[in-house]
Amino acid sequence: MGCATSLPDRNSGALSGLSNSENAVPADAKNLRVKLVLLGDSGVGKSCIVLRFVRGQFDATSKVTVGASFLSQTIALQDSTTVKFEIWDTAGQERYSALAPLYYRGAGVAVIVYDITSPESFKKAQYWVKELQKHGSPDIVMALVGNKADLHEKREVPTEDGIELAEKNGMFFIETSAKTADNINQLFEEIGKRLPRPAPSS
Amino acid sequence: MTEQHLFVVHNYLRDRDAYGFALRPQHVQRYQEYLNIYTEEETERAEKWKNFLDRQENRAAESCSSEEEFQDSFQADGLESGEESDSEEGSRNGKHEDCELSGTRVLQHLEQDRTETAGDVSKERELSPEEAQVLEKNQYLREKSLRRDTGPVEDEEKEIFESDKDKESSVESESESDEEKQSQAVKEPMDHVHIQEEEKLVAEEDKCESGHEKAQQETKARSVIEWAHIRPCLASIEDMMCARVKNVKYMKNSQKTIVGDHASPRKESLPSIEESEQNSGENDRDSETSTSRSHSMKEEQGSVSPEPFFPWYEELEVLVRLGVPKDLRGEVWQAFVGVKARRVERYYQDLLAQITNSDESSSDVQRKWKKQIEKDIPRTFPGHPALNENGRDSLRRILLAYACHNPSVGYCQAMNFFAGLLLLLMPEENAFWTLVGIIDDYFDGYYTEEMIESQVDQLVFEELMRERFPKLVNHLDYLGVQVAWISGPWFLSIFVNIIPWECVLRMWDVLLFEGNRVVLFRTAFAIMELYGPAIVATKDAGDAITSLQSLASSTFDSSQLVLTACMGYISTNEARLEELRKIHRPAVLEIVEERIQKGRVWKDKKGLASKLYSFKHEGSILDHEQKSTQRNDGENPDDDDESCSPSLNLDGANVDSEVDSLPDLQEQVVWMKVELCRLLEEKRSAVMRAEELEIALMEMVKEDNRLELSARIEQLEREVRELKQVLSDKKEQETAMLQVLMKVEQDQKLTEDARISAEQDAAAQRYAVHVLQEKNEKLVTQLAQMEKKLVTAETTLEATLQYESGQNKALSSSPRFTRTTQESPKKKTGFLSFGLGWRDRNKAKQTEESNVDNTSNASSESKSPSKESKSEDLLNPETRR
Repeated sequence: MGCATSLPDRNSGALSGLSNSENAVPADAKNLRVKLVLLGDSGVGKSCIVLRFVRGQFDATSKVTVGASFLSQTIALQDSTTVKFEIWDTAGQERYSALAPLYYRGAGVAVIVYDITSPESFKKAQYWVKELQKHGSPDIVMALVGNKADLHEKREVPTEDGIELAEKNGMFFIETSAKTADNINQLFEEIGKRLPRPAPSS
Repeated sequence: MTEQHLFVVHNYLRDRDAYGFALRPQHVQRYQEYLNIYTEEETERAEKWKNFLDRQENRAAESCSSEEEFQDSFQADGLESGEESDSEEGSRNGKHEDCELSGTRVLQHLEQDRTETAGDVSKERELSPEEAQVLEKNQYLREKSLRRDTGPVEDEEKEIFESDKDKESSVESESESDEEKQSQAVKEPMDHVHIQEEEKLVAEEDKCESGHEKAQQETKARSVIEWAHIRPCLASIEDMMCARVKNVKYMKNSQKTIVGDHASPRKESLPSIEESEQNSGENDRDSETSTSRSHSMKEEQGSVSPEPFFPWYEELEVLVRLGVPKDLRGEVWQAFVGVKARRVERYYQDLLAQITNSDESSSDVQRKWKKQIEKDIPRTFPGHPALNENGRDSLRRILLAYACHNPSVGYCQAMNFFAGLLLLLMPEENAFWTLVGIIDDYFDGYYTEEMIESQVDQLVFEELMRERFPKLVNHLDYLGVQVAWISGPWFLSIFVNIIPWECVLRMWDVLLFEGNRVVLFRTAFAIMELYGPAIVATKDAGDAITSLQSLASSTFDSSQLVLTACMGYISTNEARLEELRKIHRPAVLEIVEERIQKGRVWKDKKGLASKLYSFKHEGSILDHEQKSTQRNDGENPDDDDESCSPSLNLDGANVDSEVDSLPDLQEQVVWMKVELCRLLEEKRSAVMRAEELEIALMEMVKEDNRLELSARIEQLEREVRELKQVLSDKKEQETAMLQVLMKVEQDQKLTEDARISAEQDAAAQRYAVHVLQEKNEKLVTQLAQMEKKLVTAETTLEATLQYESGQNKALSSSPRFTRTTQESPKKKTGFLSFGLGWRDRNKAKQTEESNVDNTSNASSESKSPSKESKSEDLLNPETRR
């Protein structure tokens, strides 16, 4: 079944799969559309990553996210497909995780972010991995992101730990810096590449 | 930090609104366009409120002028404006004037101050840091007296300058006039923060300063004046709202006894539901509490509703919907929340002391909150000019104190924004109590660990959305967008950072006034109504959400939004919401219980999200649930059965087929059917909406009438009063007239009497005349008789004479006889000669005029009255004798 089960093909007929659009819904093979959710401890830089990616801006003192915020951005991949990311940036505080299912449910991509200077945020990342494995879509594309890579002198979470966690859970791992824009676009491009492509229309 | 702060301020100067909040670059233009409207509205409402409050004050003064209270507030006013008691006389007036300052005047003041302070700063630049600090402090004190006129802004200005002298020159060069104005306007609302700063300095430097010693003592521990009373003209509003608070408190307390929870005094105002939630095992209690809670809410509504006791409630409601004036907002909000009734003396200070003392001994949770608060403070309105180091310290204290006050909530992201907003409008402790009111009461159960009420509200909102905007919701369903994705953040942040600030503040005005969350729903509906059509036109989830977000964030027409919300959705009221919440609450509670019981390990196959999802659709549209279950169970969504489920899917089909250019006839038929369904649906919703609007219109008209009528009544009353006055005047006149009349009457009577007596006199005189005439006649007759007698006597005399002569002749021979007789004739001759002479004369006449009778005698008498009266005189004694 692969993606056909979880990613209903919207092109297969006018009336089929109408009620569903929670999952990543590629409009066609060349123009993908995917719902992406950012999860992670408070203050790890989720909003900063999104803002850097979408608007190319960085503000060290960005606003606290209440509930969740939404932004979307389209990128072109090398194979000339475009991917439109519908990004849900969730609130980091623990109690807001009660609302997180609302946002990660049906998401095609989950980006779990931690702060390389904060072991605690790494623990939180592990929590989110488990949570998504239990309750996310079975074929959700997951990425593990160690943010604030520019603060390497304050690093407390070794890159290896990140790699290990990612490998164990079949995730894609990258360290980024929203401040310097390092690896931000790479992150999203890589996600785009890993997205399941819709089966050619039957 | 301050360096950065300064940098940020000047970077964003052009991008900040009048409240000092950041504007998005794309909104700067529109904001500028609306600025004039805001100013106009502000002037208008300032006037209306002033009018209203003046009347309130009069009313209050009439009913009972509580001297003490007035004094209190008087002092507080002084405190608030950061003045010392020496100069406090008249500060009240000054303050009132300040309130009425038009924006431009304020700006002028500010501009002056700026140049002044800039000069001061350049002087100070050469000084060492320590010296500069001392000077700075002194200057605070020195300028206190100036403050009344210039407002506290200059300190803010100065502080920025002084805190960072390196940046000075760049700042100076940057200060073009328009930018300057904006920056100053920006700083206007944060006076309170700076008042505190100033007070701090004052307290440190000037501990023995006269006046307010009590206040200083109170706060000596922290040497910060954190509390101020609100102005007395708001007292009646405050009293009304405090009555509401007391009622709520009472309800909660009684409920607490039912639950049997013996809370520590510190948790006094905690709603019991949260307490019981903490006891994770006791599920029975959970549900029990929730039911008793909803009961209490119901009762609350019934008993708390303040309208019947306050005739001006409706007028106030209208005023609130038109917005609270900037200068009053902080205090009005406190009055609405009922801070006076909530506040416990020294409670806040005790909490702060507790926090500082228990740094090590604090529990894990507390440390967690503290950490989170630390993370969030710099991310609360970053770059806002008022939230400098001192402002942030205040913010930190409030949030920590609140976490300590209500551990069931602790700290929840979003509260930082609320506390920050409140701090911009009022002193620290006032902000704390207002926050307590909002979170403990208005948003009870919203920001707790499980956020139960927040989730319940989302379910309720979605249901209502389906009712009201079926077309829009269907479209969102089709796009795979859940309403709660969007509305969740709206509700949780109470629209802070969602819509422009003018709207946020106007909405909060209504929210705090009404004391419940109804206006959240109404505002969300209003936004959906405004932008629904645009959303329906979008083609994918991303576009829909993006456009809704960006449209919402550019809703600069605050009046339109607030009035649409308040007037257009009257049927969405607290009772209805409570009803719906009751229906949805068990679903949420169940999930929460599950979560707690299983220690966050959800063994249930469906999981929280799917539960939430399916609960959401319970009682709304059936096919939806069916569909969602299918989805959750991981079934193939391509199931053909689904094509026959009604409206929702059909609606989707419609759009899809539109995209897919209708390949065959059958599909066209389906499409037509779908179109028909859709149109029917549309019609239904349109009809509903029309009805709603009609009701709203009627309500509006009614309300308008009411206003008009009340004005008319007042006018009539005035007229009546005037008429009464006139009437009493008239009455007075009447009595006066009456008196005059009586006098006249008396006079008349007197004259009448006089006349009568005169008449009587006249009669008497007539009678007298009559009597006299009679007498006269009598006399005449007497005279006649006398004359007869006289005639008789004459004749007798003649006879006698004849006899005598006869005798004489006879006697002339006898001498003796002659002698005796000689003597007597001598005597007699006088009389005789007279009588004879008179008789002769009369006889001559008688012979002339034929014979003599009595009457002719009388007539002859009248002919010679002198003779007659003489004779009368002569005769009278005889007759009388």
